Amino acid sequence: MSENIRRRKLLATAAVLGVALAAGMADSSHAQSGEKFTLKIANSQWLDALRGKNLWVAVQKYQEVAPNVTLEQEAIPSAEFADKLTTEMGAGQGPDIAIMQEGLFYALADAGFLVDIAKAADGVALNKTNDNGMIDGVHYGIAWQRAAYALIYNRPVIESAGAKVPATVEELIASSKAASAKTPGVIGFTARHQINDFSGWFMDFQNWAYGYGVNWVDKDGKLTIDTPEAVAAVTAFKETYASGIIPIGDSMPTQRTRFKEKHVAFSIDNSGGTLNIASGGALASADMGAAPMPFKHPGAHQQIFLGVSSHSKHPEEAIKFLSWLVSKPGQQALREASGPDALATDVPVTDAFAAANPWAPTFAKLAQNSRSTLIPGHEMETAQIMRFVMQAVEKAILSNMDPKIALAEAQSAVGKQF
Amino acid sequence: MSMRGSKLRNGTTRLVPYAFILPPMIYLMVFMFWPLARQMYMSLTNTRIINPNRGRFIGLGNYERLFEDPAFYLSLRATLVYAVLAVIFGVTLGVISALAIDRPFKGRTIVRAILLFGWAVPNVAASLIWLWMYNDRSGVFNRITEYLGIGRFGWLTSTDLALGAILAVTVWQVAPFVMLVVLAALQSVPHEVREAARIDGADGLNTFRAVTLPHIRPAVQLASLLVCVWSIRRFDIIYLLTGGGPVGTTSTLVVKIRQTAFEGHELGMASAYGAVGLVLALAIASVHYVVEQRRMKWMSR
Repeated sequence: MSENIRRRKLLATAAVLGVALAAGMADSSHAQSGEKFTLKIANSQWLDALRGKNLWVAVQKYQEVAPNVTLEQEAIPSAEFADKLTTEMGAGQGPDIAIMQEGLFYALADAGFLVDIAKAADGVALNKTNDNGMIDGVHYGIAWQRAAYALIYNRPVIESAGAKVPATVEELIASSKAASAKTPGVIGFTARHQINDFSGWFMDFQNWAYGYGVNWVDKDGKLTIDTPEAVAAVTAFKETYASGIIPIGDSMPTQRTRFKEKHVAFSIDNSGGTLNIASGGALASADMGAAPMPFKHPGAHQQIFLGVSSHSKHPEEAIKFLSWLVSKPGQQALREASGPDALATDVPVTDAFAAANPWAPTFAKLAQNSRSTLIPGHEMETAQIMRFVMQAVEKAILSNMDPKIALAEAQSAVGKQF
Repeated sequence: MSMRGSKLRNGTTRLVPYAFILPPMIYLMVFMFWPLARQMYMSLTNTRIINPNRGRFIGLGNYERLFEDPAFYLSLRATLVYAVLAVIFGVTLGVISALAIDRPFKGRTIVRAILLFGWAVPNVAASLIWLWMYNDRSGVFNRITEYLGIGRFGWLTSTDLALGAILAVTVWQVAPFVMLVVLAALQSVPHEVREAARIDGADGLNTFRAVTLPHIRPAVQLASLLVCVWSIRRFDIIYLLTGGGPVGTTSTLVVKIRQTAFEGHELGMASAYGAVGLVLALAIASVHYVVEQRRMKWMSR
């Protein structure tokens, strides 16, 4: 009996001590959190060869003005970025700051996973790349980079073939064939063309669509998939694919590597991809050229936003980081690592950069009129809608289906679901 | 005292099996049955992946949409064709390989190691290697076909060839597993019985049919069941090689689940796809069970 009492006393004492110890630890960690912070920043670009390192060095300059903050990378491959971030956020976890494509940004904002960051933009002259960062009057995002698309080319290859920089799709096919004929082993034209790279392909394809004047919604907001403009765009892509100038089966990283190694004449790529091609390969950046895409109308851009997670334990600190990033020193640091991409404020590329990369000014010019890859009014459903469109493109290029019929089928499927 | 002690010992002894079974049961409950039950419930809700806890109960709404969608039937067909062909080719090749290396010959260890290679390589690495082999421009297969004068093929981009190309990778991966299982079963075939059959005048084929096959049949059956279920839920090879294309020819249920959950953010609908996959796997397991029961009955006669 007395043994039982002794045991109970012992257990009770241990419990009291345990609770006291836990409370003490919590107190001490709280005290520490007032002094030091760690902000985790998720970005797929951290993994980019060369550019990733430069971007991280630029961002880390914040630690010079905020020594109490430690920045930590969350590097996720771009193909898995949306999946992983969505899952993490859905589970109430994830980074403090996410650097993400526009589509994912809209989805996270809609789910309530991003906080209002209006304070970060106080007194800053943000440019129009930030327009979509405001959703329903709330400032959820600040532009990180805008990567417009252009037609890029290997200048020595096309000059030796006597080919001209194309202004139409027919000329693109002819110039590509001429370049391949003149230099054996050279691929005429590279472009995404496979459904296993769906998210990249649909964004790239918007250039063809917009280039032919496509609006995926009419003025009443109704989805219009099988318009004559869309049929013309799919037909043009089909002709290009069938002409044999594209290296069928190559993934985009492979195609970019081939370009780097001087094995490609033309490509349609965004400024980020072009910077990647121009860095550290056999092809000198000065030997690359850029021109408007061979379409009548302006093309698309990929817009990347910064957002602060509502799950962050230090949202105020994260917003302070954004304030620094849109300030002059922050933008200048980012400018040096971002190549020709448009930034949140108007910071022109340096003269030295423009001289070393003669293709860069073309991207800056094209970014002025380029369009978002998202469908207005259907931002969060764009990927689902474009899945039907890209399936129609697949049917046209692989099953030789008439683009008009393929797009009519897509229109019907979209009509049923949305 | 000793009687009480003995009773206590007996009671403890009775509890021992439960104590052993408890950890795996807890594991299964936490990591299998609970998620499975949650998935089944989720298939009756409009849950979105970005807000998994805010789903609303919508009854059979997801299933109604699923059964009205032609893409679902395309996906179901692709899954069944893929699974059945993976079993036929994977198991046949595995059994033939096992029979071939069952007999002693010079260099058998090396041959066995080579044959096991496909099973040892991780799926993602294997898929990336095959991706290059299938490449239109630089792939080894098109180099061979060009050398033979029959031109190039779009192995992964042709609607006629893509499923076959994926099957080839799958068979390359699963056949070594089947070979291992069947090889283990072959070791148990009594040598004397085979010898007796031969003395009685049975040729190789008849000896195989009458002596070897009955012994290895349970192993073959089990391997077939596993290959079939694995094929229904195989994702990495298909997703990396074709992403479900071209024109949906390789878009199996698992690929559709990924598409629906992560692209469309519709976790409830993706769960309905998952439920169909589960029913399919259970149906196959039931077939295996029935066949096994009949075999046992036949053996006991």
